[in-house]
Amino acid sequence: MKKFVWFVLTLALVLSACGAPAAEAPAAEAPAATEAPAVEAPAATEAPTEAPAPAEPFRVAVVMPSAINDLAFGQSMYDALVRIQEEMGAENFEFVYSEGMFVVDDAAAAIRDYATQGFDLVIAHGSQYGSSLQEIAPDFPETSFAWGTTVDTFGQPNIFAYEAASHEGGYVNGVLAAKLTKSKVIGVVGPIETGDAKLYIDGFKAGVAATDPDVKVNVNYIGSFSDVALASEAATTHISAGADVLTGSAQMVVGAIGKAEEANALWFGTQSNQASLAPKIVVASQVYHWEVILKEIIGLVQDGVLGGQSFTANLENGGQVIEFNPDYALPEDVRAVADETVKGIVDGTVTITLP
Amino acid sequence: MSESDKLPSGRTRIESLEMRGITKRFPGVLASDHVDFDVRSGEVHALLGENGAGKSTLMKILYGLYHPDEGEILINGKAVRISSPTDSINLGIGMIHQHFMLVQTLTVAENVALGLPSSRGLLTDLDRVSKRIVELADIYGLRIDPSAYIWQLSVGQQQRVEIIKALYRGAALLILDEPTAVLTPQEVDELFVIMKQMVKDGHGLVFISHKLHEVVEISHRVSVLRDGRMIGTRPTSEVTKQDLANWMVGREVGFIPDRGQAQRGEPRLQVKNVFCGSDRGTPGLRGVSLEVCSGEILGIAGVSGNGQRELAETIAGLRKVTGGQVLLEGQDVTNLPPAELTERMLSYIPEERMRDGMIKEFTVAENMVLREHHKAPYSRYGFLNLGEISRHSDELIKRFRVKTPSRDTRAKNLSGGNIQKIVLAREIFRTPRVIIAAQPTRGLDIGATEYVREQLLEQRRKGTAVLLISEDLDEILALSDRIAVLYEGQVMDIVNREDATPEKLGLLMAGVHPERQAG
Amino acid sequence: MISDLFSVTVLIGILASGIRLSTPYLYAAIGETFGQKSGVLNLGVEGQMLLGAFAAFYVAMTTGSLWLGLLTAMVVGALMGLAMAYVTVNLHAQQGISGIGFYLFGLGMSDLLFQKLLGTVETVQGFPKIYIPVLSDIPGFGEIFFSQNILVYGAYLLVPLAWFVLNKTTLGLKIRAVGENPDAADSLGVSVARTRYFTIILGGILSGVAGASMSIALLNVFQQNMTSGLGFIAVALVYFGAWRPIGVLGGALLFSLINSLQLWIQVLSVPIPSDLAVMMPYVVTILVLVATVSKVRAPSALSKPFERGD
Repeated sequence: MKKFVWFVLTLALVLSACGAPAAEAPAAEAPAATEAPAVEAPAATEAPTEAPAPAEPFRVAVVMPSAINDLAFGQSMYDALVRIQEEMGAENFEFVYSEGMFVVDDAAAAIRDYATQGFDLVIAHGSQYGSSLQEIAPDFPETSFAWGTTVDTFGQPNIFAYEAASHEGGYVNGVLAAKLTKSKVIGVVGPIETGDAKLYIDGFKAGVAATDPDVKVNVNYIGSFSDVALASEAATTHISAGADVLTGSAQMVVGAIGKAEEANALWFGTQSNQASLAPKIVVASQVYHWEVILKEIIGLVQDGVLGGQSFTANLENGGQVIEFNPDYALPEDVRAVADETVKGIVDGTVTITLP
Repeated sequence: MSESDKLPSGRTRIESLEMRGITKRFPGVLASDHVDFDVRSGEVHALLGENGAGKSTLMKILYGLYHPDEGEILINGKAVRISSPTDSINLGIGMIHQHFMLVQTLTVAENVALGLPSSRGLLTDLDRVSKRIVELADIYGLRIDPSAYIWQLSVGQQQRVEIIKALYRGAALLILDEPTAVLTPQEVDELFVIMKQMVKDGHGLVFISHKLHEVVEISHRVSVLRDGRMIGTRPTSEVTKQDLANWMVGREVGFIPDRGQAQRGEPRLQVKNVFCGSDRGTPGLRGVSLEVCSGEILGIAGVSGNGQRELAETIAGLRKVTGGQVLLEGQDVTNLPPAELTERMLSYIPEERMRDGMIKEFTVAENMVLREHHKAPYSRYGFLNLGEISRHSDELIKRFRVKTPSRDTRAKNLSGGNIQKIVLAREIFRTPRVIIAAQPTRGLDIGATEYVREQLLEQRRKGTAVLLISEDLDEILALSDRIAVLYEGQVMDIVNREDATPEKLGLLMAGVHPERQAG
Repeated sequence: MISDLFSVTVLIGILASGIRLSTPYLYAAIGETFGQKSGVLNLGVEGQMLLGAFAAFYVAMTTGSLWLGLLTAMVVGALMGLAMAYVTVNLHAQQGISGIGFYLFGLGMSDLLFQKLLGTVETVQGFPKIYIPVLSDIPGFGEIFFSQNILVYGAYLLVPLAWFVLNKTTLGLKIRAVGENPDAADSLGVSVARTRYFTIILGGILSGVAGASMSIALLNVFQQNMTSGLGFIAVALVYFGAWRPIGVLGGALLFSLINSLQLWIQVLSVPIPSDLAVMMPYVVTILVLVATVSKVRAPSALSKPFERGD
């Protein structure tokens, strides 16, 4: 029976620390295990029969570890695709998705399926899918693949890489936070100290330090992308330690936002607009607009370039946007500082020094 | 209702219980074929039969664990319906199972109270239960501490708890399923005193046993079952042991085998001052020394749990020796792995043959070659030689008279006796240098027992050294040349067969050394 | 810095947060204790919690009644327990595997329902803190023990209650007997099946409450897989606690307190890498388990299907 205890403890460890240190993206915590791959095509799929000489629609498939409505990483991609569809029209742009693919093998199978079905672009929206993609892509030289977040295309002619300069938005949030804190203590709830989350948090710290070196930033990595309970206790801990402004990255922060709201502390979001969760306290969210990059990629694919380039979503190209919460009354002068910082980052007058 | 209808426990007597035309079919087997059986108040009715003869089935029907396909049960002349143990308990029937139905981690009182309504509703009333246990214990002469945990009790005490459990539930009629199998001779005597008292008080008892001399000693009437049919019921005073044995087996049996003269040779197995740990509750070995010579059977007697299992396991390489030495033909084999001991021609017939001697899910043939499957001729270059395995197992099945539909039958589907024959066949076919036989006939019927004993004596004739561990004193006395008695992990004494009597061994088994006490 | 760890604020913070974190563990692990005591290993706790968490959240959000939400979570847990009982008791299924099956069912089902019925993460107003008069005014203690929500108090009342039921009632006697020696219990007319049905369903109900305690009392949100392995830890805590409610309490508290301690360690910038800090609860729990290697054995019949035989 002893053996069994180890088994359970190990299982518990694996499950709770799920995502593995390599997971750059908020790893996969919503594995719709029984129904995956949950493929849906929200777009009108019936061909517009009456339209004169319709061009073939551009077809995109995306595979992601978390859910399309996680208010974080997964949602940022889904929203981007919806926006592209609105822009290009349902007759010209179709997309399908598989969410909850936290098991890399399942994701690999889905990626291969989509490539076989002749999609124009297959997006592997999770850094953990890299090695699978490296194996699959050469088998489908006619298909274009995109992989994020990373800058590595494996030197293959049909893989695009994309990433987000999340430290830029983090920096802006940090500047704002430093301006707004009264207690001079700020709390950060992070998942695992790696990848996109670390980049955001390091940028945030740099922003605070550049604005007011007296402000203390306490960072708490809880070791999980999914442990809502621990994230919420981490927020409570920050508040007990005197923090009156908080931020955090990855989808388990929904627990933390609730605690911030209870304590009337301010919150800065990232990856997706989190204002809906706590309209009174969310000041601003750094939001990814992957469509900026995706449109570029789509253009290249239509011109016959299937990969080999990497892209970064940043403030300059609009791949990243600071979205302010209209329900929060941000003082004019602070808002002005924010806008100035964004401008400075774009034109290069503000440089971000990461630790 | 007059006072004399009452038992000392306060319960009304069951003057007569009759089972009429009881028939029970299991897939492929007629376990009980129109059996008539009856018990009366104030008698011990012994039920005899080989394994698979249908004794257990009949009693399980009476206790409500099985439902008969045909037949009826009458109590005091009135037909009753028994569809569960609860029904039979309510009718005043109690059963002392061969494997005690006790929860080891609970106390005596908790075991007794289990399943009964409490006088305090949802809460337990263990204090009141304990009081009543003490009362009953006084009436029937069963000393027991209600607050003791079962695992703290000896086998004999546990059996008393079983009896109290039945009496507490108002049992007027008790079924005792091989109650003496696990007891020392002294404990058997004590049990018989209790049984006689209960009969005198008006209880009816059904006594199931293999041991004919016990049946003759304690019962008033005896019935013999064979192959699911009732052979007959007689007053015990009118039959001899030989009659009973013949009825059970259906032929003439010589049930004390001829031992012949021992040809004692050089020491094959030497155990020198061996110590080892133990499982919970029982002592390990504490400095055991003994030796077994070629052509000799050394019997190990003792009450269960005094180190017999540990002794067998340390020699067989299954338990770590923490002190001392084990020598096989003069060579130190202490703590060698079992595979190495197999190479050195040590054979082991384990006590828990279903668990340690067999792989239940494997076929008869696979079990036959379990020990040597990796060697020629049974395998070559890592591949099993299935033809050779089949040929070999067919031969063993024939030679050892294993009753099996085929060599490809799974072991778990065979009876205990046939499983033991497979283990025996595997272990002695290769004529080992030393055999450890732990409880080799436990649970076997007379026919199979007779066969196993003959085979052990045959090995002895061939010069093998046999270490026979048995809790059945009759067996020890029938087979051994010398007898060592284990008590609390130590050898009390080693006596020659000629000097051994059941009484003397019984005292040694209880930890009493008559000479040492006298001197 | 390290010395800051010993300030009053920090100690109160650690204890209060440890008590909150331990709440779902307690419900789930006490429920599992009943099941295991009767010989049934239920590895589906996590799935039951997830469905319970969702049911409580959804009903509380749509009806505005937290109590109705809690009740729904209990019903959902009971139904999951009923199914588990049928599979393990009547069909004699291998308990570990079927438990994993129920876990996956709860995980997938709660996700599906979340997608279809909610679509996005939302919040509810959860059970409020209840300040116990006088007691909650005691400095320190008051904040730690007497300023929590009703489900936290409930979890702590459950511990002595479970001990009482297991040790002082006829039902508890039956449960223990069935888990140790079902043949003996059966021979005395105790229904092994009925007893196990009871404990598995009770376990399901308590797992449902465990889920509800997260979604409508402590966190007040629902998100896919929000239990994040907590149900499996609860199963491990039953072993840790040697099948005793008080031991389970000790394990749950130890694990939770170390977890809240490591949060503070990071906040106070004690120079320990975060990766090591988050491992602390697991490492310490395993070390304590090893150090206190208990003589208590698992119930003998644990995870063995019962069939009346020879």
